[in-house]
Amino acid sequence: MSTEKTINLRVNGREETATIPPHRTLLEALRGLGHVDVKCGCEKGDCGACAVLVDGEAVDSCLTLAQSAEGREITTLQGLGTPEAPHPLQQSFAELGAAQCGYCTPGMIIASESLLRKNPAPSDEELRIALSGNLCRCTGYVKIFEAVQAAAAVMRQTGETK
Amino acid sequence: MTAHDTIQPNLRFSQVGKSLTRTDAPGKAMGRTPYAGDYVMPGMLHAKVLRADIASARLKRLDVSKARALPGVVCVLTAADMPDRTIATDIPGQTGRDRLKTEQQILIKERVRYFGEPLALIAAESADIAEKARRLIEFELEPIPGVYSPEEALAPGAPVVQGTDNVVSTHKIRKGDTDAGFAEADMIVENTYVTPFQEHAFLEPEAGLAWVDENEVITIRVCTQVIEHFRAVADAIGVPHNKVRIMGAMVGGGFGGKEDVTVETYLAILAQKTRRPVRLEFTREDSFVGHGNRHSMTLKYRTGVKRDGKITALDVQILADAGAYVYLSPYVLLYSAVNAPGPYRVENLNVHARAVATNNMFTSAFRGFGGLQAAAGYEQQMDEVANAISMDRLEFRRRNYLQTGDPISTGFVPPSAIWTEKCADLAWEALGDPTPSEGPVKIGRGIGAFQQSYGRLTFLHDTSEAWVGIEMDGTVTVRSGVTDIGAGQASSLAQIAAEILGVTLPNVTVYNSDSQVTPLAGTTTATRALYMTGNAARLAAEAVRERLAEVAAEKFGVDVAQIGMEFNRVFVTDDSAKGMTIADLVKLAASRGVHRSELAIFRAPFTDVLDPETGQGQAHPDYAYGAHAIEVAVDTETGEVKVLKSVAAHDVGQCINRAAVEGQIHGGVQNGLGYALTEEMLYKEGRLMTPSFSEYLMPTAMDMPPVESIILESRSGLGPFGSKGIGEPSMTPVPPAVANAIADAIGVRVFEMPITPERIWRALEAARG
Amino acid sequence: MYGEFDLTIPKTLQEAVKSLTAGGKRAVPLAGGTNVLVDVRSQRLAPERIVDLGRIGGLRGITVDGGRVTLGPRTTVSDLLASEEIAATAPALVESARVFAGQMVRNTATVAGNIACGSPAADLVPPLLALDAEVTLTGTTGSRTLALCDFYTGYKSDQRAPGELITAIGWPVPAKGSFGSFYKLARRKGDAITVVGVAVGLGLKGGRCVGVRIALGSVAPTPMRARKAEGLLEGEAPVPERIARAALAAAQECSPIDDVRATGEYRRKMVEVLVARLVNNAVQTG
Repeated sequence: MSTEKTINLRVNGREETATIPPHRTLLEALRGLGHVDVKCGCEKGDCGACAVLVDGEAVDSCLTLAQSAEGREITTLQGLGTPEAPHPLQQSFAELGAAQCGYCTPGMIIASESLLRKNPAPSDEELRIALSGNLCRCTGYVKIFEAVQAAAAVMRQTGETK
Repeated sequence: MTAHDTIQPNLRFSQVGKSLTRTDAPGKAMGRTPYAGDYVMPGMLHAKVLRADIASARLKRLDVSKARALPGVVCVLTAADMPDRTIATDIPGQTGRDRLKTEQQILIKERVRYFGEPLALIAAESADIAEKARRLIEFELEPIPGVYSPEEALAPGAPVVQGTDNVVSTHKIRKGDTDAGFAEADMIVENTYVTPFQEHAFLEPEAGLAWVDENEVITIRVCTQVIEHFRAVADAIGVPHNKVRIMGAMVGGGFGGKEDVTVETYLAILAQKTRRPVRLEFTREDSFVGHGNRHSMTLKYRTGVKRDGKITALDVQILADAGAYVYLSPYVLLYSAVNAPGPYRVENLNVHARAVATNNMFTSAFRGFGGLQAAAGYEQQMDEVANAISMDRLEFRRRNYLQTGDPISTGFVPPSAIWTEKCADLAWEALGDPTPSEGPVKIGRGIGAFQQSYGRLTFLHDTSEAWVGIEMDGTVTVRSGVTDIGAGQASSLAQIAAEILGVTLPNVTVYNSDSQVTPLAGTTTATRALYMTGNAARLAAEAVRERLAEVAAEKFGVDVAQIGMEFNRVFVTDDSAKGMTIADLVKLAASRGVHRSELAIFRAPFTDVLDPETGQGQAHPDYAYGAHAIEVAVDTETGEVKVLKSVAAHDVGQCINRAAVEGQIHGGVQNGLGYALTEEMLYKEGRLMTPSFSEYLMPTAMDMPPVESIILESRSGLGPFGSKGIGEPSMTPVPPAVANAIADAIGVRVFEMPITPERIWRALEAARG
Repeated sequence: MYGEFDLTIPKTLQEAVKSLTAGGKRAVPLAGGTNVLVDVRSQRLAPERIVDLGRIGGLRGITVDGGRVTLGPRTTVSDLLASEEIAATAPALVESARVFAGQMVRNTATVAGNIACGSPAADLVPPLLALDAEVTLTGTTGSRTLALCDFYTGYKSDQRAPGELITAIGWPVPAKGSFGSFYKLARRKGDAITVVGVAVGLGLKGGRCVGVRIALGSVAPTPMRARKAEGLLEGEAPVPERIARAALAAAQECSPIDDVRATGEYRRKMVEVLVARLVNNAVQTG
């Protein structure tokens, strides 16, 4: 039977502790710890709203068991930047109208960041493939593509990606 | 009223019309905007809904004893715990008309009418316990004969789902003499078009948190398009209207799917029973059966036409699937009927529209609201008629477009510009050089023009309120009940107030969507938020400005007309050296006791209902017009479609935020492409077979074409600064444009959407014989 | 998500196998989690034990050695896309990886998991079948290697004994001049379940087809090889009539069903269209 376990999660650079049963997903655990910038859209990996970086790569936190994530480096949207020092993706999403209802935005920016870490100058096709697991119902993705490319250009200039 | 092609031609703006960063954007991009599902409270309970798994059945047994006995379960409710409690499924209105008899049991008492209808509510100390309890409830449903299409529902002796014969609404429009018109025609073209159910598929599932506050008010923080359902919720749980408060949050997408009551009633009952905070968040599977979808319709078009392209008569028969409960079907159907001829002159018109109850999921509001299904009918038919008389598709349309000042189907003359022709020509031209066909891949192009109202039905007597106040430091607060569903509804109010009061956008804060605290502004539906609440905010801001301008005029010894306010400064327009900051002006005004705020109400035109026999009269305040052009590549061996180009041309009246207008257009294209090509709600005896985003397929980043937006500003609309609206219009012309492009590519038409690869392959096989 | 299972996170393969064997039929290995957790959530799967393989070292990676490509079982779909060796030796596998779900799923979903999930629509399997891949299974009594085409025994069932894990996937580097491609027909371009998947591998020698392998997805209880079609092409000149006969044979030897995505009739026809198309492309490329 499922027994609870106390685990340490490293979220946005800080150690946090949660006592959770085996079936608790990383999505649920993170939201339970107050990281509500991680959004729940489908709980089965179809929409990408819950994407977080685990050791630098975007994963669906709904398809990750929290206990399995112990010790990994977890980054949520809030971990990318602050209002005082926003990440270039956050800046461009806000300024270029890439967030409408905003519910897909956390996962969309995380997926974009994961792409840009591997590929700082993605082609349009590469960008579309990278974001195909993040559904958006408001924007038709058009301004999202613009915002990611704008941020990528800024990041290439400032050397935030190598 | 005379119609205007343009009004206010020489406006100069400092804030309006620009692509300014929306007030809500930074919080969303930083991940710091709270949504309804993000709120928690100490001692909060977690709720779950148990649903029926058969669409047409009688409840034989419902045993919740094991669930109730589970430690940590606080409350399990069934219909037995709330005898005769119903929830209204009508829209809140100010008409004083009787409600339609459309009430639905909150929980099933005896009869199940659709797959997913709620049987029981559970509240427990944790979500795990609630889910475990849900699985412990035993129930037995005895299937009873159901009806799963309008045709079945209308058959003699069919099982009755609603009313006496399943017909839940009928609308007629009669104009001229169709018999004479058809007799005069050189050719009569008749086709039947089928449009599908559609799921809103907002990314945020329905969620809310309810508690009883210090005033004994049941307070619900919820994602909704309509906070004014507090009245319906209060009626359902048997408390006075002022004992339910609905607080919105930034909504994670609506599109009409959060227009009806969703989680609110369940939350209110559970909070009332337990007197503890209760949180309920629908799963995605709940969401698929937790709000009404778009009506599937069958539209039969019969057009009489002369060889020179004149339409002599049009007969349209519409049959809509209302699903198991009425909800907004009568209104959706009315939109279909009014818009049945589209943006075309039809002097001899006969429209007969019926909505019929079935045991499918109930259907209700969805972006386009019946006008969209009509567009799928009239625009495909326009292509078919043009082909029949061998006339160019655009030329045939040009000979029939409504022009500014023309009456529409109901005899009403829209007061604003009708620029359909201009939009269609520009969109078509923007497609540029055709892409060449290659091997089995054929290229085709299509156009879709449209007519779509903005503002609610005028017999609903719509009003909206907003409060605007200015602080001593020159910052502005707007308070209004309007809900923000992601289109920038709140930010638009800020931009309007900023423009009028001469401040910059970051200096405005909007408080919205609280039914007890913010002035009631009506719904965020029907492309009405900008028109209605925008006007209310405009009126309030203008009143404040007028009082401040008087103070400034006196201070500078000039006429009020000479006072300008811009970029946080007030100045004399022909002597800008004379001026001061807005902040100093407000302090000066305050020291004189000048009233620095205003609560304004805006009223739409009030009319009576349309004539029940002829459908003549005014249905809406005004209409938006535009067109969409599409180029597709169709693989004639597999039936796969790739959309290559998509050009939208809309007269929006006046942009408030240009980037937001473009964003609405892009989203409308995604919605419309999905509807036309990939999104399909499949039912098997009422059971939804596609209850997830891996089965119900909206376009992904890999499916979207580039979108070009051509935005025209006639400044002739009824909204602030001559604006119209773009929320619904952006989507309406897309599906028929896609269908027409595919038909152009392959030479045969697929009469049923979504136009899947298999349907294309079958149409081609049939044509190949 | 709710489920009543215990979770073990072993550090070695031996521990994992032991834990799975002890758990019997109700124990489930967890790799990327993109199938297993979806099935647990929907109650299609109700394991008593989940064994997470994520902490076992050495299970992830791509090696090319002695004319053979070997994948660690926890190699992810994204790993395939990032690999120059895979791009050079298995282009069809890259094509299927590119249209495999979405980025987050590709970042965690594993090759072994895609094989073991047993879905007829598992997109990596047709290209692997067309590469003549083998899988190595490891259990308490040791390891064994079998051809991937012999792995499946029926819908969602395979040769694994309780406790046995896929521990390697390998194939011979295709000969120079051979051609491989994959096409996914689906209801939308991105992140969709396949309606028909076709992978073709073949070479040309003296104007004749050699090493012909045609694999099909979503048209039978398991991904399958179209043996009759292969036989019609092997050693033959790829003239249009011959290709058409082979394509028709492929369509006849599969057994597609109707579901929410398409009818069996359409799927069968599309097998014919796509097999002919991919073989033609191969011939023209070669």
